[in-house]
Amino acid sequence: MQAETNNLRYADVNRDVVRSIVETGPRYYVALATAGSVTLLCFFFPWFYQLYFGIGAAGMNHPGVWGTYLASFIFWIGLSHSGTLLSCVLHLTNSSWRKAMYRSAEAMTLFSLLVAATFVFVHVGRPWFIHWSLPYPNQMELWPNFRSPLLFDVMAIATYLTGSSIFIYMGSIPDFAAVRDRTAGWRNTMYTLLSLGWRGTDKEWHRLHWAYTFLAVLIIPLAVSVHSIVSWDFAMSLVPALHQTIFAPYFVVGAIYSGTAGIVTVMFVLRKYMNFEQYITKVHFDNLGKLLLLLSLIWSYINAVELFTGWYSGTSTEYEALKFKMFGYYSWLYWEMILFCAAAPLLCIFKRFRTSFVPMLILSIAVNIGMYTERFLIVGTSLSRQYLPDAWGVYVPSLVELSIILGSFALFTTMFLVFVKIVPSVSIYEVKETMDTPTVTSNTEPLAPPEGSPA
Amino acid sequence: MTNIALGLFHEPRSALAAAGTLKGAGFATPELMSPIPIEGVEEVLGEKRSVIKRFTLFGGLIGGLSGFALAAGTAVLYVHPVGGRPIITIPPYLIITYELLIFFGILFTVLGFFISARLPAFRDRVYVPETAVDKFAVTVACDDEEHFRRAEAILQEAGAEQVREVAEEG
Repeated sequence: MQAETNNLRYADVNRDVVRSIVETGPRYYVALATAGSVTLLCFFFPWFYQLYFGIGAAGMNHPGVWGTYLASFIFWIGLSHSGTLLSCVLHLTNSSWRKAMYRSAEAMTLFSLLVAATFVFVHVGRPWFIHWSLPYPNQMELWPNFRSPLLFDVMAIATYLTGSSIFIYMGSIPDFAAVRDRTAGWRNTMYTLLSLGWRGTDKEWHRLHWAYTFLAVLIIPLAVSVHSIVSWDFAMSLVPALHQTIFAPYFVVGAIYSGTAGIVTVMFVLRKYMNFEQYITKVHFDNLGKLLLLLSLIWSYINAVELFTGWYSGTSTEYEALKFKMFGYYSWLYWEMILFCAAAPLLCIFKRFRTSFVPMLILSIAVNIGMYTERFLIVGTSLSRQYLPDAWGVYVPSLVELSIILGSFALFTTMFLVFVKIVPSVSIYEVKETMDTPTVTSNTEPLAPPEGSPA
Repeated sequence: MTNIALGLFHEPRSALAAAGTLKGAGFATPELMSPIPIEGVEEVLGEKRSVIKRFTLFGGLIGGLSGFALAAGTAVLYVHPVGGRPIITIPPYLIITYELLIFFGILFTVLGFFISARLPAFRDRVYVPETAVDKFAVTVACDDEEHFRRAEAILQEAGAEQVREVAEEG
């Protein structure tokens, strides 16, 4: 990072980042229109169809009453985990390579959480009653049961969503101020409001540093608790193959793993299509590759432990559940998961692989396909093989469900595309911190707001 | 109306040195404006204390207490038949306590930041847009013309590329 940004000046960073916001080419509009249309057609339309005709439109039925909606919920919560969590850890450990990429990673957290929360609404048949899960005084004397992991979920996800939104906003205030000074019209008004009158005084920097550090310290254990709690939704049931103590670390590691792979994908796209080649460099991909390798090894170990514990339990129901997972109806998905999440990431041992952009992109997508499969297997295979053989069955997702999965990716992309045009997707002031301070020869560019900036 | 002397520097070390000299010369504590946080400000201008940590602690305490009160209060008001086991069950309620502790901790931290950094502030204040790009500014309040001349001399001696006199309401 240091070496590659040395020929950049402070003013270049402002110019490049502001340009990424105000200059919009036709390619962006095509991408936004496509993502928006796919969201409408593949996410909202099938969802309304399901609301109109009832939850029977989804393939969930006895015994497979948990389907892809829950698998998607876990997947998107998981994907949210690397952004803010990784950003907080790297902030506290003063890792300078974090600085160019953390903003987009945090945005990923925010939008993944929003998509995940939407899946809760999709999964419950009558989302108009979802407020019943919140504690508020009402005439029905209806209060939620705080002993249920589902209620832990409500509290944890609401806290995480609030914390992540605040964390990304706080880190962006100085950048909003920088963009405010270079924009005109409605954008100037918007950034004036968003920057809250930030001037970059020594006092403001000092306060921001401490507030940001406290937030990071609060958010790290929160993120760990969120996915532990999601795992308890399953582990606290008495279903074979789910009722395991390893589930909380298994989910947390899996979440950070898929989140890191998600960051690689997003970094590739930003680098290539938002012209951030000088900011997002091989160093980032190299470090992310090392992280992916480490996480894949931990993930593989936990998977082995899960199998071993099932086998060591000596109970027939556990045996059956494991056998069904590895050699049953969905076995091809299991082996696909092992290939994508345990075997393929071993390529990251080689530095040449880690520093090659396209292979890393392919690997990151493969890891996330594998991680989605993992979540599907957890949800789909467990209920298929419970205690009584006469209650066995197989769950197959319906077209509505498959379409909504596809639509959720488009929903995420749409939100992200809107985000990159509002919030500086590379942190201006933190990138500057990794550069040499200005010298007499590095003159500032004229600061007039860009004329006729495209709307 | 207070007159303010504003010196614009091209690099942080001279700005910091100028601020130190001004402070040593008996001026009110100067203020720095910069595109990045400047290292070593506290050594020159004195240690800064903020109340943010107290807000975080207070928020955490309030959140933890209210979280436990919410879960335990619900259990007492709406009793579930639990077959002789405790009505107030500690392990699950600690999770609610923990989540609300963090929730209020975060909200109070933000509140503490706003209060101690005096944001939002939309009124006109001394500001140089170049300091959001690559310049470093030092501002210091001056009582009269003579005061300003002294400040100007100190700023220029420290290497300011420009010194301006600006007025601030208040």
